[in-house]
Parts: sequence; structure tokens; C-alpha cells
Amino acid sequence: MKPQFYIWMSYGMTALAIAVEIVALRVRRARSLRRIEEERDLEAQD
Amino acid sequence: MKIAWFYFASPSTFYRLAGWLAPWFFALAAILGAAGLYIGLFVAPTDAQQGEVYRIIFVHVPASWMSMFIYFVMACYGGISLTFNTRLAAMMARALAPTGAMFTFVALWTGSFWGRPTWGTYWVWDARITSELVLLFLYFGFLALANAFEDPRRGDRAAALLALIGLVNLPIIYFSVVWWNTLHQGASVKFTGTTMQIEMLWGMLLVALSFWMYSIGASLTRVRAIILEREGRTLWARALAT
Repeated sequence: MKPQFYIWMSYGMTALAIAVEIVALRVRRARSLRRIEEERDLEAQD
Repeated sequence: MKIAWFYFASPSTFYRLAGWLAPWFFALAAILGAAGLYIGLFVAPTDAQQGEVYRIIFVHVPASWMSMFIYFVMACYGGISLTFNTRLAAMMARALAPTGAMFTFVALWTGSFWGRPTWGTYWVWDARITSELVLLFLYFGFLALANAFEDPRRGDRAAALLALIGLVNLPIIYFSVVWWNTLHQGASVKFTGTTMQIEMLWGMLLVALSFWMYSIGASLTRVRAIILEREGRTLWARALAT
């Protein structure tokens, strides 16, 4: 294997791990807000 | 100037403060990361012994430092939450854990891809690498324990206790290359000085600062979601979901 393979596998995985975390953060926040909205709507119906 | 710590310890106040601060930390992380990677990939010279493959250190070493530093900060927050029974400290400990686990994984992964061309193997049960793997399991244990209880406050206390016990692993990781005869090389950067070439050092330090800023930004963003999950029934949180 050429050194470039090891270098880009390392940098690639680092970039991927950070990208996955950023997406997960956005999804979690959106889910939290949606849950609050749903609970509020349910209470309003009651 | 006197800072009103208890004012900022309120989840509703901290939610707004974190929302204001997080983008600045992400921006700083991007700028420092770009500068560090530019120096590391284009300015720093080729290593005389390892050739080009040494450039992995520009992500491997900062990720390893962050994996230990985040654990230390997480355990401190855990200790504060246990001692003073503060909700926000427990939430911060929870917010830091996934980022710490991510950096530990990156440190192990990049270490493997450095080990193969330099040592001839992706993995070896060496004291430094094994203790870093234990750190990853400690992060997983923290996250599993924190989410194992229906009452989040009980989960906070159990996980904080585990975080404090796991602190013993940090000096083991750091001094493993001194205490045992390891395949992993000793530290090139110490508090007393460095044996590295100056461009290599700058590249590595800038990426380390970038990862630090990113970790603060990510934990502030995550703690906002945790605050919403826990304070969802309060009026101020409901006002946000419009």
C-alpha cells in the first residue's frame, strides 16, 4: 500500500466522524423540539 | 467584575448562552483546523524516518489529547453534579461523552493506520493502545449507564460515579509509555519542551486547538438538546417550539 492510502483513510475517517456527529446533533435538537410541539398540541386538544 | 455563576447555571439562561456561543466556537474550529491542516499537509517537511505517512499525527495526536482531556472535564462535571447536585453540570457531562468517545475512536483508528506502515500491524495489545481502548469502553459505559434509568437524575449520579472511578485510567494512558516497554513511541511534546520540527509542532497545535474549539461547540449544541428534553414541560421551552 502507498502512504497516501493510510493518510487518507485517517483523514477521511476523522472527517466522517465529525460529519456524523454534526448531523446527529441537528437531528437530536430537531427531535426534541418536535416532541415539545407534539406534547403541547396534545394538551391543547385535551 | 463579579460573574453571577448561579444565574448562568439556570438551564433556561444557559440554553440561550450556549446557542449564542456555539457558532463562534464552530467558526474558530473551522479556521484553526484549516490553518493547521494546511501547515500539516503542505508546509511541514517530510519526516526523515517515517516519510509521508507521519502526517497522520496531525489528526492522531490532537484526537488522542482530546479523548483524555474531554474525559477529565466530563469527570469534573460529574464530580460537581454529585457534590452540589446541580442539574446543568450533569447535563454537561452527558453532552461531552459522545464527543469524547468520537475522538477516542478517531485516535484508535488513525493510530491503526499509522501502525500498519510503521510497525507492520494495525493492532497490538500494547499498554498505550489497550488503555486508550479502555477509555473508549469507559465512554460507552458512561453513556449506557446514564441512559439506563427512567429517572434521568439517577442516571446522572450513576454515570458521574463511573466517570470519577474511570479517571484512574488517564495517568495510565499518559504514563504507559514510561512505565512499560511499549511499541508505541514516547511523547514528542512535553511541558518541558519538544523534539519536533517547528512547522510540524505548529500544525499539530493548531489542529489540537481546532478540535478543542469543536468539542466546546459540539457539547454546547448537545447540551441545548438535553435541556430541551428535560425542560420540555416548562413554559420557556414550549415557547421555543413554535
